[in-house]
Amino acid sequence: MTNFAAYGVREIRDGIAAKDFSAREVAASCLANIAAADTEVHAFLEVSEALALGQADKIDAAISEGRLAECGILAGVPVAFKDNMNQLGTHTTCSSRMLAEYRSSYGATCVEKAIGAGAIPLGKLNMDEFAFGSSTETSYFGATRNPWDTGRVPGGSSGGSAAAVASAQACVTLGSDTGGSIRQPASFCGVVGVKPSYGVVSRYGVVGFASSLDQVGPLARTVEDAAFALNAISGLDLRDCMSKDTQTDFTARLAEGVSGMRVGIVPAFMEAPGLDGEVKAKVEEAAENLEKLGATFVEVDLPHAQAAMSAYYVLGPCEAFSNLARFDSVRYGYCDPGHADLGSQYEASRGKGFGMETCRRIMLGSYLLSAGVYDTYYYPAAQVRTLITHDYRQAFEKVACILAPVTPRTAFRFGEISDPTLMYLSDMFTVSVNIAGNGGMSLPVGLGADSGLPVGVQLISPQFKDENMIQAAAALESCYDHVRIAPGFAEGKAGAR
Amino acid sequence: MTQHLTEKDVRAIAQYVRIGLPEEEVGQLSIDLNNIIDSLKPITTYDLEGVEPTYHPIDGLSNVMREDAKGRSLTQEEALARASRQQDGCFVVPAILGGGDAS
Repeated sequence: MTNFAAYGVREIRDGIAAKDFSAREVAASCLANIAAADTEVHAFLEVSEALALGQADKIDAAISEGRLAECGILAGVPVAFKDNMNQLGTHTTCSSRMLAEYRSSYGATCVEKAIGAGAIPLGKLNMDEFAFGSSTETSYFGATRNPWDTGRVPGGSSGGSAAAVASAQACVTLGSDTGGSIRQPASFCGVVGVKPSYGVVSRYGVVGFASSLDQVGPLARTVEDAAFALNAISGLDLRDCMSKDTQTDFTARLAEGVSGMRVGIVPAFMEAPGLDGEVKAKVEEAAENLEKLGATFVEVDLPHAQAAMSAYYVLGPCEAFSNLARFDSVRYGYCDPGHADLGSQYEASRGKGFGMETCRRIMLGSYLLSAGVYDTYYYPAAQVRTLITHDYRQAFEKVACILAPVTPRTAFRFGEISDPTLMYLSDMFTVSVNIAGNGGMSLPVGLGADSGLPVGVQLISPQFKDENMIQAAAALESCYDHVRIAPGFAEGKAGAR
Repeated sequence: MTQHLTEKDVRAIAQYVRIGLPEEEVGQLSIDLNNIIDSLKPITTYDLEGVEPTYHPIDGLSNVMREDAKGRSLTQEEALARASRQQDGCFVVPAILGGGDAS
């Protein structure tokens, strides 16, 4: 049985348009493959079979009636959504016991836009609880496994989104990125992950973690597929007051190359303590490849980038503390039964409903915002945010985009990092991008020389110039053999029928 | 390592954020929180005299006005559908001041 989830967006769209295969066949093959392959990976928390087949039939009907043009740019493309995105007809659990039974009463804009563009919704994907984490180990429903080595984490928090694409269980997935949660798992799983500039994709209907940092973006196996998906989900949405009408065609410059493009490199990133040799070597190789393609490298400084980590771990928990106050056990969410007063119902429900990392972040945020402490941490973090934004602006006066590592190392083993402060270092190269609101993406550049595991490089673009990094990534992508599906998964696991 | 929070502080914060914390978790959580707060120290070391704070990453936002228009919102039934308890179109909660009926 063909595994259509291993196909690219263009192949699927063209194949359906030419009636080489039907959307129904695509959906059915993906569903059969998930049933077999996901026992190894555990990327999916819920498979939305009826929704997938219903959408496929709609597309097939439109095509048979000659209304292909109405089908949209993701017509027939099998997609799946991170489980912090509301979708009518599914649960939205945020991988938390708190929302284990929660069924969406409305759809997130990004989800509705993807489906509106013709995508076939396969289901909802595992994540770190409420997106707090870098390994997907904090999921209440158990960790997702990295398809390249199932003894290792897929990264996080969008670990299910990255693993589903790397194991050819979906063509495109959506994730969310507050400090690296799309880019780091994309790097660990060897797929493309794009965090657009803050405001490019509406956050409406996506459960908030840190509202001034959260951004939705696509994960896919090629830059082109990610760009198609971004075209589908981006745009002004009046239900997100920060959403922006960028009117950008993210596919427009895919074939332009980088001849004459000035690309920045940050010496302090390349010399950062903790950056593994095999990762550094891959970033340097990517720089050489871009130079061969005609790009010019310019050293740029981000003098306050070092402060980004501590600023992020102040701002993030403070905003999360505020966002997670809404879980009151009364209107929705887990309710511990049998309490005589509301206070004890709150405490028992939140105590049992939230996992340990979530409790840590809520309590940390509460402490950091308390009187006296606020002036020591939160206010300086907001000031540092100004400096980091300014650093990037100055750098981008000289370059069109910046090349950097995504993560200091390749995927780690389950349980290998149990100290939360060490886990937080996973984000050292990614958080400053969220703080400044720029675009950032991870592009797979092959396997590390020592670990044999996928390595990604990060491309960072100025705010609302996401097409710059996409252009550079598309050019750089041509330098590598295209192996984006983990060994053993490309053919699908559903078996010959 | 500096002790920013005692175990007593941790219990007080948990109560404030309405998280019922099992007593056996207080010790480890105190260690974790102190470690994390310690790791935030760099933020306290910068000379930030005169630097304006930034609270969101988009510059130059201005107010957007539009005409009032009726839109669809959740019905009362939909809004109540996920409640732990409901009665006569309302959310039901236990007594707020304590000493109520646990049924």
